Amino acid sequence: MEENNSVIQFKEVSKKYKKGSKLLKEALLDMFRPSSTKDFWALSNINFEVRKGESLGIIGPNGSGKSTILKLIAGVTVPTEGEVKVRGRIAPLIELGAGFHPELTGRENIYLNATILGVKRKEIDAKFKDIVNFADLGEFIDTPIKHYSSGMYMRLAFAVAVQTDPDILLVDEILAVGDTKFQERCFQKMKEFQDVGVTIVFVSHDMKAIQNFCTRVFYINSASIIKSGDPKEVVKKYALEVL
Amino acid sequence: MNSEKDLAKAWNYRELLSELVKREIKSRYKQSILGYAWVLLVPLVNLVVLTVVFSLFIRIPTGNIPYPIFLFTALVPWTFTANAITFATQGLVSNTSLITKIYLPREIFPIATVFAKLVDYFLTSIILLIFLIIYGVSFEITMLYIPLIFFFHLLLVLGVSFILSAINVFFRDVENVLSVFLTIWMYITPVIYPPELIPQKFVPIFNLNPMMPIINAYRNTILYGVPPSWQSFSYAAVFSTLIFILGYKFFRNRSKYFADVI
Repeated sequence: MEENNSVIQFKEVSKKYKKGSKLLKEALLDMFRPSSTKDFWALSNINFEVRKGESLGIIGPNGSGKSTILKLIAGVTVPTEGEVKVRGRIAPLIELGAGFHPELTGRENIYLNATILGVKRKEIDAKFKDIVNFADLGEFIDTPIKHYSSGMYMRLAFAVAVQTDPDILLVDEILAVGDTKFQERCFQKMKEFQDVGVTIVFVSHDMKAIQNFCTRVFYINSASIIKSGDPKEVVKKYALEVL
Repeated sequence: MNSEKDLAKAWNYRELLSELVKREIKSRYKQSILGYAWVLLVPLVNLVVLTVVFSLFIRIPTGNIPYPIFLFTALVPWTFTANAITFATQGLVSNTSLITKIYLPREIFPIATVFAKLVDYFLTSIILLIFLIIYGVSFEITMLYIPLIFFFHLLLVLGVSFILSAINVFFRDVENVLSVFLTIWMYITPVIYPPELIPQKFVPIFNLNPMMPIINAYRNTILYGVPPSWQSFSYAAVFSTLIFILGYKFFRNRSKYFADVI
């Protein structure tokens, strides 16, 4: 079956959010109200499959549901309707350094964050030097990271995230931060992953990067996939409609 | 997914658990001069204050047991209960960035917090031990019951932590009401007074509190050399086990929505 090499599968996936935060009072009242008008559909009836080794780009205006797709793939949230199937180890390069603790040192944070990303302690020991070298931290490795510059912070976070031997890499606009040198290094690393057959899902507003990097692109708007296919054509369509 | 499978998965996350416990312990007292000593200082100051109030001003009769010792044997386990529940309740919200970005079995957060407080509990227990030696309390064979008492105590703390931390994600009201709740809970538990002081007609109501048999059992086995009173202790054991199981199920059920609302 062709399903065999599909690593991500969305079947009739819809995701509903409730608008705004609820107070206890409102929650109690809601129990007596039939259906709330505050619902917001971030995705409706999304179907797609990503095969191993593909580099999928997702473009669309803010609030169109791009990040929701990444969250569903990462498993941090569940679909309201439909089914999401994902196979393999995921490295979410979403908001780098999510597990960092500012009071802990670079060294402590490497162990903490790599463990959070599912790397065994022994593997971290083995890769520790590579991580420190890639992050280019030198003597600051035993300094609490709250004293790091934002560049150092990003480098460390990226260095840890790429050392996790992922099957699927989720990338959400990380390349928008950091200097050009850092961005180039990130891209180089992503290309390396691409070459060894890692599946990549890449959300970005950088149309050039999307066209250069992706093998297939989705254009998403108001909760649905408007167009999918060849990067050039999809980007063109998006540019015509939105930009 | 059934919960047995999830528990097995949680075992696979033991390295993560130990990293999170380390993070909790290391980060708590960084940027402070006394550092981890605060873990011991706070209960000691509480001990002194409560001893002054309840043995000098208001004299609480404790038989032939000196009041500080009488108090400390209960204050140490109580402090664990209160601290673990307090920090676990806030624990999910303080890990928002992790919860919304990376999939981890979410129960690992309250468990890690409770385990971190377990380290504090262990350290304060050493102080208690030193106190017992200073006051010349003889060590009774009944102290061998302590692991059993501790086991159900831990289940209760974990269960309550699961429930409150999960609700707190949806309604931060929990965090605010918690300190009041814990104060009341401490006063209806015989921590600063002996259970004999509870008026006879209120005893059935007080008996509903599962912390009461647990605290009493710690005192009985450490200070009086008698085993836990089995009737009330088995009630606490059943109650704690139920709270743990129901709390875990409730937490699992709610955790699907954490990333959407937190």
